[in-house]
Amino acid sequence: MADVANTGTIHDIGYQRYTGQRLGRGHAVRSLYVYSFRTVFGMGRSAKAKIFPFSVAGILLVIAVVAAAVKAQFKVEIPQLSYVDFPGTLSFLLVLLLAAVAPELASRDLRNKVLPLYFSRPIGRDDYVLAKLAALVTAVSLILAVPLFVMFLGGAFSGSGLSGAWGQFTDFLPGLLNAVIYAIVLSAVALLIASLSSRRTIAAGAVVAVFLVTTPISGVLQVVGTETMRQLASLFSITGILSGLRNWLFGGSAEPAIGSFGPLYAGAAVVLVALCTALLVYRYRKVAS
Amino acid sequence: MTSSSTVAPARGARLFNPTIASITLRGLLGRKRSLLLIPLPLILVGLSALVASRHASPEHSVSVVLVGLGIAVVLPLTALIIGTSVIGSEVDDGTIVHILTKPLPRREILLTKYLVAAVVSAVVVAVPMLLSGLIIDSLSLGVGLAVGSAIGAFVYSALFVMASLLIRRAVLVGLAYILLWEGLLGNLLDGTKVLSVQKYVTEFAAEISGSPLLHGPMSLVVAIVMAAVLTVGTLVVAVDRLRSFSVAGETS
Repeated sequence: MADVANTGTIHDIGYQRYTGQRLGRGHAVRSLYVYSFRTVFGMGRSAKAKIFPFSVAGILLVIAVVAAAVKAQFKVEIPQLSYVDFPGTLSFLLVLLLAAVAPELASRDLRNKVLPLYFSRPIGRDDYVLAKLAALVTAVSLILAVPLFVMFLGGAFSGSGLSGAWGQFTDFLPGLLNAVIYAIVLSAVALLIASLSSRRTIAAGAVVAVFLVTTPISGVLQVVGTETMRQLASLFSITGILSGLRNWLFGGSAEPAIGSFGPLYAGAAVVLVALCTALLVYRYRKVAS
Repeated sequence: MTSSSTVAPARGARLFNPTIASITLRGLLGRKRSLLLIPLPLILVGLSALVASRHASPEHSVSVVLVGLGIAVVLPLTALIIGTSVIGSEVDDGTIVHILTKPLPRREILLTKYLVAAVVSAVVVAVPMLLSGLIIDSLSLGVGLAVGSAIGAFVYSALFVMASLLIRRAVLVGLAYILLWEGLLGNLLDGTKVLSVQKYVTEFAAEISGSPLLHGPMSLVVAIVMAAVLTVGTLVVAVDRLRSFSVAGETS
């Protein structure tokens, strides 16, 4: 009896201290970024979670392949599917993609109330938001960049030698930059909207509603306005800001006419992204955890 | 006394259950997220007032605001959000079990919930459509649009209630249907109009209003038949699906 009492241990249920290396905040943020990037594509999840992102990416790829084939075979450019016009023409597919994946990133954690688990790690609330946003931007950029690259390969290898290939390359680079701009703006808006609802279905509907409803607003202003008003009208829709900015930076199709207001469109895009990111950070500082 | 309280009261086949209706209505409107239904109609009426105050050409106003925003966006989105949540949100919350275990025919449960979804969608969309039509052109245009979109709400609701029972991610599939099938293919491939609720609604609105500003895209008979077939067919499938509905936990 006395022996047992002297060991001093009533229950040893096997808890052990972690004695390995502590990887710190930077590693935690990077892990969250990688994890979120995988979430966008449904990797590490069931097949059902992969259907939507991969089918949208697949449709974009098929369209790019067809455009490249038409260009190579018949030597005609489809103006709506040039490198810089590609994301704008297919923006409805991007909206659908964001409606599917932004709620996966934001709403799911809110619904399952796992934010306290994240924030008890050496990861700040701002880190959480920025890692998620960066992952979404990367994923959307990738989904756009792959079709563009396929189109570039098709263009570069369809004859006309090295100068033709170089010409394709100088067209391809602005297209890539434009795709990244699209990814940044659309992701920031979509993630903010998705973070407002813990229910994925509501969040998905809200994302699409915001994009769909702002488009007719600029359509209406185009109809009723004066010349100046018409050139400013696209500022009132998210996709309008993006296509105005594209026309100012890279030429692209004539629609929408923006006159000399190009810098204003650039400013609007910057303000939109900054505002959405700031609101996201604010939202996650306040959100109950 | 004791025997009557243990034996279920004899009753005929009913299609509507007021208790389920009131529970559904409360679940739909009694929460914060019902506020989501307010902005869409407000924007519709606001834009109509804007185009009317700027004396824009009625043709443009009708095609951009009333058809482009009202019929093509506000109506299907409202019906989608409401239609998928009358049953979908109860499945998510797990409260559907309490209704399914009651000694009620599944048909009665489903039709009641469908009716609530359709009526709420119809009211939320038809009232702003009436106002918008009135502001932009005339009362007859408003009435035509309101009646057309109310019929559309009944068709869409049947479609989306069924989708919420068949597919786990019904909202996304519904959005894809609205954006890709009705939005994109409906305008590119003329043949898809036979299977596009949006086109039926435009046809009904054009026919009822008699306004030269609205052009019906198809024949009225085809629109009536297709809308009826679609509504009844999807409801039959939905009832059948609810009969063998199994409640599973949320996966991925």
